[in-house]
Amino acid sequence: MKKYSLILLASMLVSPLALAEVVVIGHPGGPDSITTNQVRDIYLNRSQQLPDGQKVRPFELPEGAPARSEFHDKVTGRNDAQLKSFWSQQVFTGRGQPPQEQGNPGSMKASVASTPGSIGYLDASEVDDSVKVILTP
Amino acid sequence: MKRFFRIAPLALAISASPAIAQSTDNTVAQMQQQLDSMQQQLNSVKDERVRFNGFFSTGFARASNEAGFDRITDESSVADLSLLALQGTFDVTEKSQAVMQLVGRGSEDWEPIIEWAYLSHRPTNNLQLRAGKMRLPFFMYSDSLEVGYSQPWARPPESVYGPVESTSYVGADATYTVNLENSALTLQAFTGFNDQDTRSASTEFRNLVGSTVSWTDYLWTVRAVAATTESTVEATRLALLAQSYGIQLPPGTTTIADGDRGNFYGLGFGYDDGTWQVISEVTRVEVDGRFADTDSAYISAGRRFGNVTPYAVVGWVESQDDDERTGAFIPGVPEAILNTRRDEYSVGVRWDITPGVALKADFTHARGFEEAPGGLNQTDVLEQGINSTNVYTLKLDSAF
Repeated sequence: MKKYSLILLASMLVSPLALAEVVVIGHPGGPDSITTNQVRDIYLNRSQQLPDGQKVRPFELPEGAPARSEFHDKVTGRNDAQLKSFWSQQVFTGRGQPPQEQGNPGSMKASVASTPGSIGYLDASEVDDSVKVILTP
Repeated sequence: MKRFFRIAPLALAISASPAIAQSTDNTVAQMQQQLDSMQQQLNSVKDERVRFNGFFSTGFARASNEAGFDRITDESSVADLSLLALQGTFDVTEKSQAVMQLVGRGSEDWEPIIEWAYLSHRPTNNLQLRAGKMRLPFFMYSDSLEVGYSQPWARPPESVYGPVESTSYVGADATYTVNLENSALTLQAFTGFNDQDTRSASTEFRNLVGSTVSWTDYLWTVRAVAATTESTVEATRLALLAQSYGIQLPPGTTTIADGDRGNFYGLGFGYDDGTWQVISEVTRVEVDGRFADTDSAYISAGRRFGNVTPYAVVGWVESQDDDERTGAFIPGVPEAILNTRRDEYSVGVRWDITPGVALKADFTHARGFEEAPGGLNQTDVLEQGINSTNVYTLKLDSAF
């Protein structure tokens, strides 16, 4: 019995990591939902708009952040090296600037909460009601 | 009982430590929130009305002889591969921007040149209009031609990127993007003129009109381009060369195209799954007059191993109108020196040292040009009977 409860305890300690899931968040004044394709178009500089027509302000977490790799894995399908090279091409051809980087999840949340038209992404466990979850990719 | 005492301190320790951690976490979280909101205020003050970016390259290339592949000989210096560019993006309104890019090249004594200077306007989400000085969009990497960092190689394949030396134009373009379910189609139309002194000629394009179509599903990319113009090409390097031999060429001798119809066609293909990167372009240049009409192609494959990406490229270029150059510029200098033929083989490696900085090493072997040395140092090739050249390049590329 003790063995089972230990296993249970261990699994409870592990599960928050295993269940970590990235969600796309938006400013409370923005649309209630968005599709994966729309998010990908925004993060790959193919669209400057939210579904409700507002100009979008996307935010990004820094390279190495677990939520960042999960987000790009699920949404844009590009790794950090590809993104870096892609954006250097976009910037120096005047087609656009990369999403503004936020140093950490807290700053990501604060920025999305206070910037109209913004979207970002966070681990589901980091989200509170200052922002709105608009997609679980 | 004994067991209880053994377990109790353990249980206490287990229950107490999260409690302490909890309160520390709370304090840290509060401080974090405060810091975040301060950061936010800072962000909103600067609010990105003006942004500056730049890129820098330096390196060293040396060739085994005087053939002059990409103008590299056995006497090339570090400055030849060095350049520094600064770009300013100014938000004029919510939908309009002004972009200016200044490039200083070591090979031109670092004299800054404006490569981009245009106004861009987005009337709708899918349409972008631009007017001013921009890059000629002939190739897949035209737009970021000098941004070495955005390219996998030490230099774009010379077979395809070499024959058209003009790189920019003044005019306007419209780009329309159609976002499809899992892909995007981009249509671009451009028009304008060009007047540029390149490394071997002074070129002028009038009434330039062209269009590009590209499609990508974020894994595969296909691109097509077609353009037409009235072109005038003055072979300035040829004139200088003649002068160095003490030959004074009669006026007009080195005009190898004079308002002649010039057409450009290109097909590009790319595949990038994050591990493998395959790129290929096929291009055709057709100009009435003595200017060499060339067909060219390359295929490049690279594979990422973490920060290290080895690559290999095979390229080919060949002029298709050699029968039109049977005369001579002056006795002893046949027009046939503009005939072009070359096979190129490159192997290299890109090492991403840190984000924004990449070091590249490249070995290129070019051959098959002894009969048709167009685009190279013709006199050296012909006089010394050079039939191949090896070029070693070490290049540092950075974007910031």
